[in-house]
Amino acid sequence: MIQHQRAVRVAALVAALLLATTGCSGTGGKKAEQAAGRLGAGVADTPRMKVAMVTHAPAGDTFWDLIRKGAQAAADKDNVELRYSAAEQAGDQANLVEQALAEGVDGIALTLAKPDAMKAAVAKAEAAGVPVVAFNAGLDNWKDLGVLEYFGQDESLAGRTAGQRLASEGAKKVLCVIHEQGHVALEARCAGVKQGMPGGSVENLNVTGTDMPSVRSAITGKLTQDPGIDRVITLGAPFALAAVRSVKDAGGRAGVVTFDTNKALVAAVKSGDVRWAIDQQPYLQGYLAVDSLWLYKSNGNVLGGGQTVLTGPSFIDRENIAKISKFAIQGTR
Amino acid sequence: MTDPLIELRDVGKQYRNIIALHGISLRVGGGEVTCVLGDNGAGKSTLIKIMAGLHRQSEGTLLVDGEEVVLSSPREALDRGIATVYQDLAVVSLMPVWRNFFLGSELYRGVWPARSLRVEEMRATTKSELAKMGIDLPDVDAPIGTLSGGQRQCVAIARAVFFGARVLILDEPTAALGVRQSGVVLRYIAAARDAGFGVVFITHNPHHAFLVGDHFVLLNRGRMRLDCTRAEITLDELTQQMAGGDELTALEQELQRTGT
Amino acid sequence: MTQTRVAGPPAVADERIEHVAPLRRLLVRPEAGSLLGAVLIFAFFFVMADSFRKPESLANVLYFSSTIGIMAVAVALLMIGGEFDLSAGVAVTTASLVAAMLAYQFTLNVWVGALVSLVVALAIGFLNGYLVVRTGIPSFLITLGTFLMLQGLNLAVTKLLTGAVATDDISDMAGFGSAKRIFASEWDIGRVSVKITVLWWIVTVVFATWLLMRTRVGNWIFAAGGNADSARAVGVPVTRVKIGLFMGVAFLAWFTGMHLLFSFNTVQSGEGVGKEFLYIIAAVIGGVLLTGGYGTAVGSAIGALIFGMTYSGIILAGWNPDWFKFFLGIMLLLATVMNAWVRNYAARR
Repeated sequence: MIQHQRAVRVAALVAALLLATTGCSGTGGKKAEQAAGRLGAGVADTPRMKVAMVTHAPAGDTFWDLIRKGAQAAADKDNVELRYSAAEQAGDQANLVEQALAEGVDGIALTLAKPDAMKAAVAKAEAAGVPVVAFNAGLDNWKDLGVLEYFGQDESLAGRTAGQRLASEGAKKVLCVIHEQGHVALEARCAGVKQGMPGGSVENLNVTGTDMPSVRSAITGKLTQDPGIDRVITLGAPFALAAVRSVKDAGGRAGVVTFDTNKALVAAVKSGDVRWAIDQQPYLQGYLAVDSLWLYKSNGNVLGGGQTVLTGPSFIDRENIAKISKFAIQGTR
Repeated sequence: MTDPLIELRDVGKQYRNIIALHGISLRVGGGEVTCVLGDNGAGKSTLIKIMAGLHRQSEGTLLVDGEEVVLSSPREALDRGIATVYQDLAVVSLMPVWRNFFLGSELYRGVWPARSLRVEEMRATTKSELAKMGIDLPDVDAPIGTLSGGQRQCVAIARAVFFGARVLILDEPTAALGVRQSGVVLRYIAAARDAGFGVVFITHNPHHAFLVGDHFVLLNRGRMRLDCTRAEITLDELTQQMAGGDELTALEQELQRTGT
Repeated sequence: MTQTRVAGPPAVADERIEHVAPLRRLLVRPEAGSLLGAVLIFAFFFVMADSFRKPESLANVLYFSSTIGIMAVAVALLMIGGEFDLSAGVAVTTASLVAAMLAYQFTLNVWVGALVSLVVALAIGFLNGYLVVRTGIPSFLITLGTFLMLQGLNLAVTKLLTGAVATDDISDMAGFGSAKRIFASEWDIGRVSVKITVLWWIVTVVFATWLLMRTRVGNWIFAAGGNADSARAVGVPVTRVKIGLFMGVAFLAWFTGMHLLFSFNTVQSGEGVGKEFLYIIAAVIGGVLLTGGYGTAVGSAIGALIFGMTYSGIILAGWNPDWFKFFLGIMLLLATVMNAWVRNYAARR
């Protein structure tokens, strides 16, 4: 690849300029990354269509990146032009939907983090005859809004599942780390964990997700304050990795488990630092959202037959990690 | 009269098509105070800027120690012993007196990057230099902002003197001060004069000028309206001239009529 | 006419300022108010929270304070010099992203990545400073611009290069071990884990204090912030001082970025937003004047410590951390009121 050659040339130049001697790493890095093929499997011969995806993703979040990758994979395969956009405020999301309609898209995939704010925009799409599917957030509301299909995980169900597993492992006192204060889905997860382990206690801890040292410090503080905590459950992969360090700092023996995964987390599960992760398969959510619109447009199919299509929860632990880690390194799990 | 330290001959300044200053001649010798008087917009600040090296004159010549020079920067003016003390930017008020005194010319020891300030020496020097000029500060570590306005001006002048100035250009040093504070500064000007410095005292207060001045130059609309020595003029005449001469008389009559 | 010739200057005894009492001398110190605050907060949590008294808690407080404090020192110096840097928070992330991505994408020794990142960080600092002194536009606006630009670049370039929003794990690459020893080592003393950033923080504060109080540059920093025109009039190179201060912030942003990278192995591209205010708050709590020309490096350290103690203290007391921001607000308010009061008291003649 030309890009790769240029990269090597720049690398050589930089190395020569700066270190002159041993500038290269013998281990790790891009070279060590497996050049595994993408999920692509040819391109459909259906006419080119345009799909807009509007989400409430915060910028630079690893979880949402997987959703986007899944959506892009489906778009590539289905001969779809994907317009991805995200805004954290509900009002802005509604605007993005209307903008997409004005552009004349053939389908819209969106998240319903704040369903009420999206009502008008969804109704407008319906009136214009543009199919709308929802994913990730809005489990309880998508039907009311007249959305065609929904792909996601029941957050409180996922929480309960996690809680049940924690209880079965003998956990008595769990710390649930919320990295985005006031986020409904995250609160629902922690509430679910509580319901899942009626015998134990669950305490929530709000931290600032954009500031890793403060996350680490807060969890360390909490563990020091309450040495009885025997499990820390985080709601995002990067925070689980910070929690692992906190546990060490506090000199405690609390085990770390988490919701959601990323590449680094898969390695941590492999090494045993993180016991297990609840996976809602974000890649699949993104993929299905786009693919379903293509199916609906080209064949009139409706996935789930009017019911929620659940993409989770499933567990990633030492049992199945070998199977998944290959995909994680590839950046799709 | 001694040989002039600084002399201006027919100096003028044009900004594009505006003549800010024209035909200005003045001389300041050691131990003399030359007062430049003028209303706002008379060209006083342009004159200061030329002597301070901030602007170049567009006509005429500037002589320092009898030698014709072109001052291209404030630094060069300082190097030739011409120091300008501006009314509003004399000191940094939150900094201690001694730090202000040595600002820009700090004493240090050691080689870079381990240079450090000779703090004690600077403190002592500041105290003694100010004492020499009659300002006795118990604490040179106090922020200079805690000093009175007159004292602040004096510190700024003492600083210029200490760093080798022979000609002091004082821009409205008494303008923002009360009577008592003005007295502090005027005493200091007199002290500097008696110590052999040449002083250019820019002011719009003829009373202040007359207290210390040897020569008086009155600017009006960029031209010299008056140029005389102390022997040639009285305070009343100076005040009259300064206030616009006949204009003032007319104004006085007009106001009296409407007032009664 | 020969009247009112002023004879030699008499001693102007009535102009003397009164003798300064020892208490006032102490209160004049810019960090006096914050020091008092820090002692009170420490005592408060010491009494209220059992776990606050544990040595590991103290280590935790110091660690968190140091991650803020190192940057707060540079930000305090910049603020004393009369400028702001709103890009300081994301610049930290930029530095770690550049180092991580360069090393990973080109499979280089991580030290190469770190050095290139240093160059990039200093360039950003220089650009900030240059634009501020050249255009004369308030640094608040200039750095707001670079803040947004960096935030966008962090996200976009990371996505472009890695195809993801976080950098890849570089912990298995050459040079990582030695870099980690410099930027992120930890020692276990008994049950207490001491982090190297605390040591670097102390070094930074000591150096900055020396720079401010005992060098020409320090004098110039105060002057540039206190009254730039006066400073220029007496020959202080204000332009160079200000650009240097921005580059100082950039240097410590790089350092903090390296700490993040080598202690967490990966960096998310969205991190760091909002931290610029923490640095400014720490400096202000520590007695640095918002308008410049006044403050100390030690003050910024106390500010960061107050921050760390409050943050951890609330958790250690078992309270809901939702209250943290509220307490922080109170602290900031008290500190600023206290500082204003102290300054007026000190300046009263």
